[in-house]
Amino acid sequence: MIIATYVKHVPDAEARLAADGGRIAVDDHAYALDGMDEYGVEAAVRLKEAGLADEVVALAIGPARSEAALRTALALGADRAVLLETDDDLDPLAQAGPLAEATRACGAELLLVGGKQADWDSAALGPAVAEALGWPVCDWTTELRLEGREVAAVHDVDDGSEAWSASLPVVVTTQQGLNEPRYPTLPNIMKAKRKPLERRPLTATARVVTLAAALPSRARRGVRLEGDAATVASELARRLRDEAKVL
Amino acid sequence: MDFALPDDLLALQRAVRDFAQREIAPVAVELDREPRFPRATLRKMGEMGLLGILTPEAYGGLGLGYLAYAVLLEEIAAADAAHATIASVTNGMPQSLILTHGSAAQRDRWLPRLAAGDAIGAFCLSEPHAGSDAAALRTRARRVDGGYRLDGSKAWITSGGEADLYLVLAKTDPEAGARGITAFVLERDTPGLSFGAPERKLGQHAAITTSVRFDDAFVPEDQRLGEEGQGFVMAMSALDGGRVGIAAQALGIARAAFAAAARHAEEREAFGRPIREFQGVGFKLADMATRIEAARLLTHRAAWLLDRGTQATKEVSMAKLAASEAAVFVCDAAVQVFGGYGYSADYPVERYLRDARVTTLYEGTSEIQRVVIARQIHRETAR
Repeated sequence: MIIATYVKHVPDAEARLAADGGRIAVDDHAYALDGMDEYGVEAAVRLKEAGLADEVVALAIGPARSEAALRTALALGADRAVLLETDDDLDPLAQAGPLAEATRACGAELLLVGGKQADWDSAALGPAVAEALGWPVCDWTTELRLEGREVAAVHDVDDGSEAWSASLPVVVTTQQGLNEPRYPTLPNIMKAKRKPLERRPLTATARVVTLAAALPSRARRGVRLEGDAATVASELARRLRDEAKVL
Repeated sequence: MDFALPDDLLALQRAVRDFAQREIAPVAVELDREPRFPRATLRKMGEMGLLGILTPEAYGGLGLGYLAYAVLLEEIAAADAAHATIASVTNGMPQSLILTHGSAAQRDRWLPRLAAGDAIGAFCLSEPHAGSDAAALRTRARRVDGGYRLDGSKAWITSGGEADLYLVLAKTDPEAGARGITAFVLERDTPGLSFGAPERKLGQHAAITTSVRFDDAFVPEDQRLGEEGQGFVMAMSALDGGRVGIAAQALGIARAAFAAAARHAEEREAFGRPIREFQGVGFKLADMATRIEAARLLTHRAAWLLDRGTQATKEVSMAKLAASEAAVFVCDAAVQVFGGYGYSADYPVERYLRDARVTTLYEGTSEIQRVVIARQIHRETAR
């Protein structure tokens, strides 16, 4: 059984962002493997280590720099990587078709995708690619087991969590709580450089066109309460109860 | 001329930064207050590959050069200086001397354990009466049937009592001065090998430091490294690498102190504005950043020279001198930027200052670095 795991190269959570001429500008070195996708890579590698999968293929769609995210996935234990290379900003729906095709092409029967993509916070890719593949999807997954061809999962729903099961092939979207991703060790980072990485040019048409982007301006919302201790305390309590509604 | 680090090294740096900030930084305060040898984090560092950075892959190390060593050690030190000290000792002399002077059997026997972090290495040169004047050491190794018997004591041994392997320099020929010194590798459980209580120190409390005693300790002949009389020369030839490591460590501590001070200067307000707006604070931050940047350039260049196989004794000493003095300057200035809070153990900068202070002392004091630099200048000038 082959597992495909989607990885996206997104700005690091600590990266400094600047909006420059209506585009978000980020230094190339400030990108990292999307944390949401990391749970998927970890899940795939654990299934392989448990002898339940034969191969883990990391798939990415994006510009050439996305190779770094794939190398991280390879350092975490993926066996090989495929980059569908494009400089266009493709929305999740535009990515779904090519990702479905690449998943089929590598013979995978389980596709893992981050529950949402950290850069634009979209949770659409997993369900969209499942639709394109015609496979069932389990989203926001926090537990994943594989017994033979049966997938048993637990995932978040609006009012709690739900047990979910289906037969392969399936798409599973991952999130915090599914596992604790390992660190890429330095020897594995170095070995990852020698693992196979295939680049294929991708031409696809974006359905969403970004006209302009700007950073939200942050207003300081701190409030300083003045007065003696008793006055400040009762005013604080009032605000916590009536305004913040946390008491 | 390209001042950017190679992409491959940036990837390793990022991985180590994440690792160090998530695994090492959170235990630094506790280890400073309740000193103990940080076995759990050292184990994780071994798995990361951080305890065999320079040792070739064939022996389970990473096989990286000194530039990478400096970059990665800076990341460890920025999280906690004590971990960087333990790492630099076990990465340094024990592994580099076994690699360059050990027999094939000795390399196979010790290097994989050290490089994987399964064994921590210690280096025993200094003695109570022989610090900067290391050739004056008195520990004696007498030839006996099948090996040697060691008598004497060593001082300021990092990881003393905790390390598994001890690279020891002892006199086999007391008449021959520096040329009468020989290197040996001892296992911790060697009969006759014992350790003093951990020294109480200004900083870097988790980098346990003890005296080491030898009472008629027997060392088999196959645990002698190199030939008799070669010990001092081999140790001196490996000093440059160790000094680059201390320079990198000093940079890491300085960087952490600077980051804390810069943040504090943004957040702390006095007289109605952030204190960074006062030139007294702003100029301090500017000087701190400039000293760090200058020291980092010297350190990376010295490491780069070593990687090219160039003689770099002067440049390495300049880097060590500049980086360690910068670290003390920057940490002291950071305390000043924090004001009274800087003196409080509830804030990190007093610890950075205590941790940084030793960097101008070990692996050659600042004065010794100047002696080395001046001697090299003389050699270049008098030629």
